[in-house]
Amino acid sequence: MTKLEARNIVKRFDHNGNPVLALDGINLKVDEGDFVCIVGPSGCGKSTFLNIVAGLEKPDSGEILLNGNTISTPGPDRTMVFQEGALFPWLKVIDNVEFGLKMAGIPKNERAQISQRYLDMMQLTKFANSYTYQLSTGMKQRVAIARALVMDPEILLMDEPFAALDAQTRDLLLVELQLIWERTKKTILFVTHSIAESVILGNRVVVFKNRPAKIKKEFVIDYRRPRLAEDENLLKYQQEILAELRTEVKAQIKREFEE
Amino acid sequence: MKGKITAKRIVFYAAIVVVWQIVFSLNIWSENIFPSPLQVAEDLAYGAADGTLFFGIATSMWRLIVGLAISIAGGITLGVFMARIASVNQTIGSLILGLQSVPSVAWVPMSLLWFGLTDSGIIFVTVASSLFAVTINTYSGMKNIPTSYIAAARNMGTSEAQLITNVMLPAAFPYLISGFKQGWAFAWRGVIGAEIIFSFLGLGFLLNVGRELNDISQVISVMLVIMIIGILIDGFVFKKIERKVMSRWGLA
Ligand SMILES: Nc1ncnc2c1ncn2[C@@H]1O[C@H](COP(=O)(O)OP(=O)(O)O)[C@@H](O)[C@H]1O
Ligand SMILES: [Mg+2]
Repeated sequence: MTKLEARNIVKRFDHNGNPVLALDGINLKVDEGDFVCIVGPSGCGKSTFLNIVAGLEKPDSGEILLNGNTISTPGPDRTMVFQEGALFPWLKVIDNVEFGLKMAGIPKNERAQISQRYLDMMQLTKFANSYTYQLSTGMKQRVAIARALVMDPEILLMDEPFAALDAQTRDLLLVELQLIWERTKKTILFVTHSIAESVILGNRVVVFKNRPAKIKKEFVIDYRRPRLAEDENLLKYQQEILAELRTEVKAQIKREFEE
Repeated sequence: MKGKITAKRIVFYAAIVVVWQIVFSLNIWSENIFPSPLQVAEDLAYGAADGTLFFGIATSMWRLIVGLAISIAGGITLGVFMARIASVNQTIGSLILGLQSVPSVAWVPMSLLWFGLTDSGIIFVTVASSLFAVTINTYSGMKNIPTSYIAAARNMGTSEAQLITNVMLPAAFPYLISGFKQGWAFAWRGVIGAEIIFSFLGLGFLLNVGRELNDISQVISVMLVIMIIGILIDGFVFKKIERKVMSRWGLA
């Protein structure tokens, strides 16, 4: 069953008075329970696309359908994990995790039950009463994931959530995220500029072409889980994607050189 | 480290008193113009013993607290409207910038005409002195909230009203605190200034009485009290809150 569908999404930005095409007709279907990665060079429009799916930005044309219904505003059925975490520093970890539930008017004891489950899942129980400034970047991202999961979204959107982490922490979270996906059976749409990350995580890897972004090609990664960062069998998938992206990156370097 | 700073301060203030005493002993000016430290201390003890000083402090503090509370409530409300509605900022916003440049004692004649010699008149001056600082700081705080906080909140289904109370105001809290701090400093100047001119109870009134009685010791002792209250509130209330907020909000 199709969980999410993007139909011909077009987005322009105003760049010094000139309209610049950022997304040039993105068509994408994500099946229920699937784990889809979008990979592409920085600045190619991945965040823009994800923000449109989240309802945080409006496309110039095209539509997003969730379970077959058009959506246009943000909502807790599509929670997002941001690269910077975007945790609220004035709240304790547990209150950050429960934030969306509280806004939805869910009573305190019920909130506590739900948040406990995800605090356990993300191994945050010990830190429930800490403030975010007391946490490492990796811990913060765990909180951000827990905060998004408590809303029990139809689809979990992740915008380069591991980009700011050190390699060891990231490798650990890459494995954990796969386990969480298997446990919760969530549909996940994950954006990254890292090819390695995309083949570790995705059932499908969608390659975005640069400026304007278009879907260039799609790869199916049919390989056992949990996949480890150091698994050499994943290299061949990486190389296939890299070959596809190389022409893109070259074109971008050339463009930047000329600008 | 901290002990060392305290020691330096004690030596410094002790030196001031010593120099003061020496200058007094030289008999350059008459006692009516230049009292000794002891005379000022006696005056403080006297004012404390008969209660006038505490009554003055209580009166001034009460006016300050009421005025500042009104300024904080009003300033936050105005600041939020300015930040959320562009035409409010373009109109009322410009007026507020202008009003903020009016010195607090310049509000006294208007206040006397409107309220007469009443508490409300002094509180009006206090509010007028501090309202706009709170407003402007609230506005900048609301404008400087990381967009990712707002995106994350809207993403979790936050309504517009919830967004303001549960995300934007707490996110702007470091700015609100500096608004309160500025507001308090202006309010304190406003209260004392108004009390001197209204000459209606409070520490400013005691200053005025000191002048009318030609009692320089009383004038200096009340000034000392005003200064000490300022140091205490700044150091114990605001510094503590500020330090806590800065580290928690990740700004320190
Ligand atoms: N609000 C905006 N206004 C103007 N241009 C923007 C805006 N947001 C993104 N862009 C431009 O759109 C392009 C895609 O940006 P983005 O989606 O953030 O890329 P990515 O997430 O893949 O790095 C970039 O060239 C960026 O400069
Ligand atoms: Mg991005």
